[in-house]
Amino acid sequence: MSTASHDASSLDEPSTVSQPEQAPPGAGPGTGTTVGEDGTRSVTVVADGDAAARAAYLAQVMADIDAEVARRRASGDLPAGLERQLDELFLEFSPMSARGTDRLREQLAVVDAGAFVDIAVPVASRKAVGSALKRLIRSAISWYVGFIVHQIVKFGWSVSRLFHLVVEEVEDLSDRVDALGAPDLPEGVHVASAPGTSWWADDAAAALSGVVGRVLVADCGDGSLVGRLVHDGVDAYGLDPSEHALEEALAEGLDVREGTVLEHLGVVGGEGLAGVVLDGSIQWLRPNDRLRLVDLVADRLAVGGVLVLHSAAPEGWERSVGPVVADLAPGRPVHAETWAHLLESRDLVVQTVKHSAPAAVLERLPADQPGAAVVNAAVDAVEALASVAGDYIVVAVRQS
Amino acid sequence: MVRPTGVHQFVPALLPRDATGAHTLALRDALREAGWTSEIYVEAAHDDLRPEAHYFEEYAERAQPGDVLLYQVATGSPMADFLLGRPEPLVLSYHNITPASFYEPWEPATAAKVDAARAQLAALVPRAALCMADSSFSAAELVALGCRTPAVVPVLVEPARFAPDPDPAEVARLRAGRDTGTVMLFVGRLSPNKAQHRLVETLWWLRRTEDPRARLRLVGSAITPTYAEAVLRFADELGLAEAVEWGEDLTPAQLAAWYAEADVFVCQSEHEGFCIPLLEAMHFGLPVVAIARGAVPETLGGGGLLVGDGRPVSVATAIGRIVADPDLARVLAEAGTDRLRAFSPSLVRQQHIELLAGVHCGPGTAA
Repeated sequence: MSTASHDASSLDEPSTVSQPEQAPPGAGPGTGTTVGEDGTRSVTVVADGDAAARAAYLAQVMADIDAEVARRRASGDLPAGLERQLDELFLEFSPMSARGTDRLREQLAVVDAGAFVDIAVPVASRKAVGSALKRLIRSAISWYVGFIVHQIVKFGWSVSRLFHLVVEEVEDLSDRVDALGAPDLPEGVHVASAPGTSWWADDAAAALSGVVGRVLVADCGDGSLVGRLVHDGVDAYGLDPSEHALEEALAEGLDVREGTVLEHLGVVGGEGLAGVVLDGSIQWLRPNDRLRLVDLVADRLAVGGVLVLHSAAPEGWERSVGPVVADLAPGRPVHAETWAHLLESRDLVVQTVKHSAPAAVLERLPADQPGAAVVNAAVDAVEALASVAGDYIVVAVRQS
Repeated sequence: MVRPTGVHQFVPALLPRDATGAHTLALRDALREAGWTSEIYVEAAHDDLRPEAHYFEEYAERAQPGDVLLYQVATGSPMADFLLGRPEPLVLSYHNITPASFYEPWEPATAAKVDAARAQLAALVPRAALCMADSSFSAAELVALGCRTPAVVPVLVEPARFAPDPDPAEVARLRAGRDTGTVMLFVGRLSPNKAQHRLVETLWWLRRTEDPRARLRLVGSAITPTYAEAVLRFADELGLAEAVEWGEDLTPAQLAAWYAEADVFVCQSEHEGFCIPLLEAMHFGLPVVAIARGAVPETLGGGGLLVGDGRPVSVATAIGRIVADPDLARVLAEAGTDRLRAFSPSLVRQQHIELLAGVHCGPGTAA
């Protein structure tokens, strides 16, 4: 440990200054005065002089201590994480730290314990007569106190019993809700996304061009759309549930972070966003989460704010995600018309609905071949029957 | 201007070894010495102090013209409603009410109680002819409640409150349990705002970095039992159960023994309206280490080491430094002794008397 060098003995030596007859204003405790032959008053500033030197010395000591702590932190002797862990460990002992039904059960135990009222009032006393007197009073009024206490205890137990029923009911509901939860998807399943290079990127960039304020790109994947918007002068940032998916965007220095859109919008302030791009996992949201998402977007978008929503169409979705994900996903995509309906019910006016162009998969005969017109017409008809819409975007604006 | 002829104090509970109780009794004596009639009115009093007090409802029959009513505010009480209904000039002496947020995770009922006490204070302030507070920190709360010029007057701490000599039996007992390691001491009820769990953390760091035999001694009643239990369980979880001692209901001589057998007084309270134990530590010549929260910086003045960041690691390092450097320990003890002069009982008594003498007792006295 470092030790500050100091001359402690100097702190003991009182300093003396000569002053005119009048004592200095505000002379503090420990200030002694003596009148000399020449009429001047000698002021022995015992405490004040010491106090100044002492304050300087103690300030130096504290500076040494701060430097010592900083040095130890830098050397790894005092890991900051360990301090936090100690704080968290202590909070585990708080009765309010338990979560869910554990917390309810703990508080229920407190209610049960408090529901009992002991009629046997302590009679101990340090004075000999005190104990006898207290015992006398206790027995004299026990019939009265007992009657009151009986009613209080009866009420207490009634309340306690009611709480037990409520907690059991809550536990039952929790179990049922848990049972409704979707099974885990195969590990690593994620809607791999490079929205900046997709067919709808131009439409999104055009819709968001010129907006003033922050624009959230949810499920931003590799950050390509965030980068493009930023390049266009939009104050865009990204969010993706997969940390791995963000690596490329982070390497490019984009403002992206890990997280789900529902969690993130939950903490954004009302009317805090000028634009929102929804993509990726919104296609398999549960129905209730889908409604919650629409509510959140409608609230978080500023008036005049723009929503760009991209989703797989239901008809083509199963093919795009494969059978396991299609079977286990918590929800199914909905049609563009359904999103439009939900958005408009929240004062978001739909400006555009655009589907991706189906890819031509069957080869046509050259037009100069005999019978080409007939054959190609038949091919068109077959392709129209076989093709399905792949995906779409919906652009909407908050009106009020 | 009509001067008061009697100053009567109202305090919810008059208890022995209690800061507000000791202040009330000492002030009563000072007021009587100044020539005023002065009685103490309570909601409840300890058996030993019962002869010193009257029940507050009795005041109605004993009221005299020229009376001033001085309410010692530290908690909620039905007394507040009683005082609101009295025509006599009202003086508030505010000793601070712990904010509810400290109790919410531990005892929601206590949190509701202190909230109610603050509501009472808010109702009393506009009615008061004079508001006093122990510290500028507490006075700021009175200003926020509408008092324009609260007076800051320290708590009256009479030297008689301290035993001249430590209890020898207690000294022997404490020495028997000590293996020469550093002894940290804190005195104050076990309550979330006093943050004794932080002292346990500091002990953990102290043993890890400075002195593996260090011990922590806590003195105080478990006013928040769930918190007190958590502090002890926390110490146990950290393997410090044997290194943490807890004493309560100590006599003054026993308390003097705890001070005498400690190396450093450590205060890591998160909220203090004044913190009398700092003065006690100064009185007993113990070096003080504290963190800058609430009124602690102004009470401590230059009388100890104030750890700015308040983190247990820094506090532990400061303690290690004091124990390793006897010169520093001596300078801190001297600094404490000097600081104590600012709270000289004669000075504080005079401040109270001058302020109370200025209260107008004529018609229309309510502010």
